[in-house]
Amino acid sequence: MLRRLVLTRGPELAVLGFLAAIPLFVTNPYALGLLTLLAIYGILLIGLDVTVGYLGQVNLSHVAFLGLGAYAAGLVVVRLHGGFTFSLAAATLVGLVFGGLLAFPALRLEGPQFALATLSFATLTATALNELEALTGGAQGLSILRPPFLGHPLSASGFFWLCLALFALVWMAMRNLLASQWGRAFEALRDSPIATDAMGVGTYRHKVAAFALGSALGGLAGGLYALNFLYLQPQSYSYDLMVILLLGVVLGGRMSLWGAFLGACLVVLLPNLLSNRLLFQVFSGLGLLLAAYSGTRGLVKKTTRPFQALAPVVAMGLLVVGGLKVQNTEDWRKAIFALMLFSVVVGLPEGVMGFAAKALSKLFHLEPPALPPAASLDEVLPARASDGSSLLRLIDLKQYFGGVKAVDGVSMNVVSGAIHGLIGPNGSGKSTLVNVVSGLYTPTSGEMTLRGRLLPTGSLMRVAGFGVARTFQNLQIFSGLSALDNVMVALRGAYRTPMPLVLLGAARGEERKAQADALALLELTGLGVDARTPAKDLTYGSQRLLEIARALARRPELLILDEPAAGLAHPDVMRLVEIIRRIASRGVTMILIEHHMDVVSELCTTVTVLDGGRVIAEGTPDEVKRHPKVIEAYLGQAPAAGAAAEA
Amino acid sequence: MTAAVLAQVVVSGALMGLVYALVAYGFQLTYATSKSINFGQGELVMVSAFVSLSLVNAGLPYGLVLPAGMLFGALLGLFVERAGVRLALEQKSEGWILMTIILGLFFLSAAENVWGRDDRPFPTPISSDPIHLLGVDITPLEISVAVGVFAVMGLVELFKRVTLLGKAFEAVSADRDAAELMGISARRAIMLSYGLSGMVAALAGILVSPITTVGPTMSSTLILKAFSVAVVAGLDSGFGVVVVGILLGALEAVTSLTVGSGWREAPGLVLLILALAVRPTGVFGKATIRKV
Repeated sequence: MLRRLVLTRGPELAVLGFLAAIPLFVTNPYALGLLTLLAIYGILLIGLDVTVGYLGQVNLSHVAFLGLGAYAAGLVVVRLHGGFTFSLAAATLVGLVFGGLLAFPALRLEGPQFALATLSFATLTATALNELEALTGGAQGLSILRPPFLGHPLSASGFFWLCLALFALVWMAMRNLLASQWGRAFEALRDSPIATDAMGVGTYRHKVAAFALGSALGGLAGGLYALNFLYLQPQSYSYDLMVILLLGVVLGGRMSLWGAFLGACLVVLLPNLLSNRLLFQVFSGLGLLLAAYSGTRGLVKKTTRPFQALAPVVAMGLLVVGGLKVQNTEDWRKAIFALMLFSVVVGLPEGVMGFAAKALSKLFHLEPPALPPAASLDEVLPARASDGSSLLRLIDLKQYFGGVKAVDGVSMNVVSGAIHGLIGPNGSGKSTLVNVVSGLYTPTSGEMTLRGRLLPTGSLMRVAGFGVARTFQNLQIFSGLSALDNVMVALRGAYRTPMPLVLLGAARGEERKAQADALALLELTGLGVDARTPAKDLTYGSQRLLEIARALARRPELLILDEPAAGLAHPDVMRLVEIIRRIASRGVTMILIEHHMDVVSELCTTVTVLDGGRVIAEGTPDEVKRHPKVIEAYLGQAPAAGAAAEA
Repeated sequence: MTAAVLAQVVVSGALMGLVYALVAYGFQLTYATSKSINFGQGELVMVSAFVSLSLVNAGLPYGLVLPAGMLFGALLGLFVERAGVRLALEQKSEGWILMTIILGLFFLSAAENVWGRDDRPFPTPISSDPIHLLGVDITPLEISVAVGVFAVMGLVELFKRVTLLGKAFEAVSADRDAAELMGISARRAIMLSYGLSGMVAALAGILVSPITTVGPTMSSTLILKAFSVAVVAGLDSGFGVVVVGILLGALEAVTSLTVGSGWREAPGLVLLILALAVRPTGVFGKATIRKV
């Protein structure tokens, strides 16, 4: 425990102490200026890493939030004669509000569309800052005087300490957030947005909150930026700077606070690097050597493709040759950023920290902290009374895709406490039916009620909130998370601490409780020993069981199992049957889609058979097996009586 | 402001809009085969225009500059595919967004240093003496833009429908996996689409440069508008980009006249964000079905 604390917190405190002590010995104003910028860019890059790293999207608008924050702080000082804290609060708030406003439309989008939306926002912001001359002074710029801090005028070192303290606070807040349900949800929604929604976590909600938070940090950094430079110009917040910030985050290492810090160091040092010829040559030479070394190593070990090994060497080689040939490196700055960024993205996609973290974890092996004992199952999954009344009722449900009638007027009644089988040949509409009930599709027509209440349509998230949980035929586990975390993401009602308190680190208690609850569910499905195993390393059978454990974390009234035995070996199927029985004994109603007829016969009391999107039979497993229409659907038309007599 | 002035502005703007449509069409070509677009397409337009200008200055006749410039654009497009897109597509990641941004930045910097940061005139044999037509003035130069845009889009569409190679291209666009199972190389189709896209970008550069002049900044102004057009129209509708391109060009010219030239980019950007918010597949695009 102590060793863990020393190894994780030790370096943080050492670097913080070192940085804080520098002004005591160094009085050079230029060096102090660089250090102040380091703290400001540190905050800025932690904010950018939220979208670029944790959400995995290319965000081109961060520089706009820096600008908006800077102008907000500047205008508060100049126009409203506001104080230090007021101007910083305004900057952060502007980042938060504009970030939230942009996030609502932008985060419904993925990949290129998101990048485009953020790029347009950044350009619009630049236009507005330039053109709203009455407010911002336009291209003339805006000069401000630094207001006193709590009544005291700040010296250069005082301002540095303030920036550093804010940086440390932001660092701690982010660490708390990432260690909480939020951090898990970020990872989960990158692995499977559909499952994140189906588990009631809310992909969209988390993305918007994350983006707004990152933008608020951008705004805060902008406020500090304004109070540092005391002169604002719209062209400072250009596309060039955006590329440099991306370079910082990617080179430092995505999804890492240390990576953001390293990136900030790079961003601060870049101008010096470009103006000093010798330094540039040394740096580019080192880059070439590193690229050549890791490229050869990758090729020899066959871990990289030839392109990944060669392209960075070519790019760094160009940088070295260019550095020797070109008169003024400053003229070529964009090309230099491009070459550096290119080499990093291709050759070192995990960044310096991703690389270092691997090496360090080999050097210092850290055991994860011990898990609490599993909670009692009665507490996690209280037994429900099943009264045999109707739970889910579908009335004439239809789902058409253009001319395809995937579900064509299905009526069905699932009784509380039952295991209701749903079978049918391939393409009979089982999966579509499940997708409609669980909210992935909005039905073309028809009615669905759960305990007499109308079930929401077209939203996985809202259906999940109604007490319906499901598993997926094509596995949708959160592959990057451990088995325990997979279940913890989905735990219903376990996380009540509001985000501001989470940032302050107030969520540790409920985190511990959630671990105990999740462990109980893992033990129910026989995965207790694999709690810390990354989900992607589990066997296929265990991954299927993990999906069930995760769905149970929703404490569902209705659990839909979409072909849980598909692809399982016989012993695993037996295990599965046993587990489903145990779940049923806790009063959870289930719909079981299955092709294994023996599993269905063993578990289900009622079976509905679909073919061509319609119900062709319903009854006990034995009745259904003998039903002529079912036999026809599975085996084809029986020979006509006359033909049989002839033979 | 009289109606005549307004009509004049709308017509000139609409003709510029056709150039945006052509650049946007270049996005559609690569999006169809690979679901990726070149974020550095504007730089492709600009660099190809500069190369063509150098060819003109070297004394090459205009009739040869056009194909030479387009060939250069196609080669540049192939380079972007190889250096920036292929690896990311193989890894099934969206890394190509950042990679094409990076390549664009490199081209921009190279152009700034090779040809300078100033805007330069692009000589052309086509006359720019206005012809009076139905109350507005149109120059033969502007007409040549319209003719060029429609000609190349028509030819590419014809190529896709008539030739075997074009049908392979369409097959990969429709269903990549199925096409591969039928023995069509998706990689080659993607290369072809990037080559065509680069060619189209080069043509856009050569057509627009005599009107707007050539300069490093033309890339960023053009690409944002082309993005707006492509997104508002939808990334799979060739007809859509022409309609939206014309409308956006006209809207932009009117904004520039009434609100101020500094704001001329604003309507496109606002439209883009709105379109993404309300209808991410575009006005003319097809909705897709999510599957699990």
